Amino acid sequence: MGLKRDVSLSAGLRYRGPAAYLTYILHRIGGLGMGIFIAVHILASFVGGRFGGILNGIYENWAFQIFIFFCALFHAINGLRITILDLFPKLLDYHVEAIWIEWAVFIPLFGVSVFVIVSTALGG
Amino acid sequence: MEVTIKIFRYNPEKDQRGNYVTYKVEAHENDRVLDVLEYIKGKIDGALSFRRSCAHGVCGSDAMRINGRNMLACKVLIRDVGANITVEPILGLPIKKDLIVDMEPFFDNYKKVLPYFINDSPLPADGRERLQSPEERARFDETTKCILCAACTTSCPSYWANGEYYGPAAIVNAHRFIFDSRDEAADQRLQILAETDGIARCHTAYNCTEACPREIKVTKAIGEVKMAIMTGKLD
Ligand code: HEM
Ligand code: SF4
Ligand code: FES
Repeated sequence: MGLKRDVSLSAGLRYRGPAAYLTYILHRIGGLGMGIFIAVHILASFVGGRFGGILNGIYENWAFQIFIFFCALFHAINGLRITILDLFPKLLDYHVEAIWIEWAVFIPLFGVSVFVIVSTALGG
Repeated sequence: MEVTIKIFRYNPEKDQRGNYVTYKVEAHENDRVLDVLEYIKGKIDGALSFRRSCAHGVCGSDAMRINGRNMLACKVLIRDVGANITVEPILGLPIKKDLIVDMEPFFDNYKKVLPYFINDSPLPADGRERLQSPEERARFDETTKCILCAACTTSCPSYWANGEYYGPAAIVNAHRFIFDSRDEAADQRLQILAETDGIARCHTAYNCTEACPREIKVTKAIGEVKMAIMTGKLD
């Protein structure tokens, strides 16, 4: 008798990991977000008509654009960090600093992009 | 000070699932979480079950989730975790009772990486030691410090998702022998770790490095093994 080893998604997300655990979670969300976005985008163009129009309407919404841009930009920059640290294990000594640098690159780029998306949406 | 401690309880003879029981006890800020558990077991509920042996961070038997993060109960002070404490079993291993998990799957994975010295060459001419320079010894010094507490492996999201993954602790112990200049089975171990459930399952979440009570740079050790597999070189 005993309880199974299963770890639920909520138990996993409640684990209080370091900053890198957050980037790990966001990397998954970003990768999945982009995958679903591309799949549905292809589907929308394929079916066309009213249904395709509704889907394209969602994509043209500025809030959605901010979300998908977050996915793409974060995934790309974080993916780059992972790749560099994988290729040069000695740099793993500085993994905390690497994540600080990553945020320092991400936040201004994302901030400017959000500004552009929102001001375009407001007809600026 | 008064400490409120919420402990995961599960009795396999009675319960279908686990539940939490909250205790309020007096403790000193310099007490360890293990002292509080011992107090509850001694004075309030003798049925409370948890593993501990050395009580000094050496034997590796009391890894548990304290306030959501893997730690050794004997190595963490009340003042470091505050007056509101939640104690739960480590994740990803079957729970036998309260805070006691079944460690067999953990040790099965550990055994897969041949975690022992292998050298079938004849002894040196004088029939004594196989010598090693201080630099060669230093190469794997860090990974000799592992006490097999499982804090790293059970903090790893890849291991939660898939118990077949050998896990950080097994790779740390493989590292200890792979980079030992006297050992001759590095290739064999690297081959084992190149399999699907080996290093490929590491996605560098770093939970392991943060959890290790021996401050072993676990992710770095895994990174060095990854590199050795990719390049076929040990440096
Ligand atoms: C700039 C381009 C990109 C870079 C640098 C990049 C980098 C990476 C890296 C390094 C990983 C492995 C992470 C790990 O070991 O945990 C990964 C995983 C992944 N990527 Fe990308 N990627 C890029 C674009 C994309 C795109 C366009 C998609 C979706 C269509 C995508 C979807 C995924 C998914 C689903 C995963 C698995 C998630 C995971 O392992 O955590 N990626 N990416
Ligand atoms: S590497 Fe650290 S956390 Fe993992 S089993 Fe060894 S001592 Fe415990
Ligand atoms: S009781 Fe031995 S390590 Fe904590």
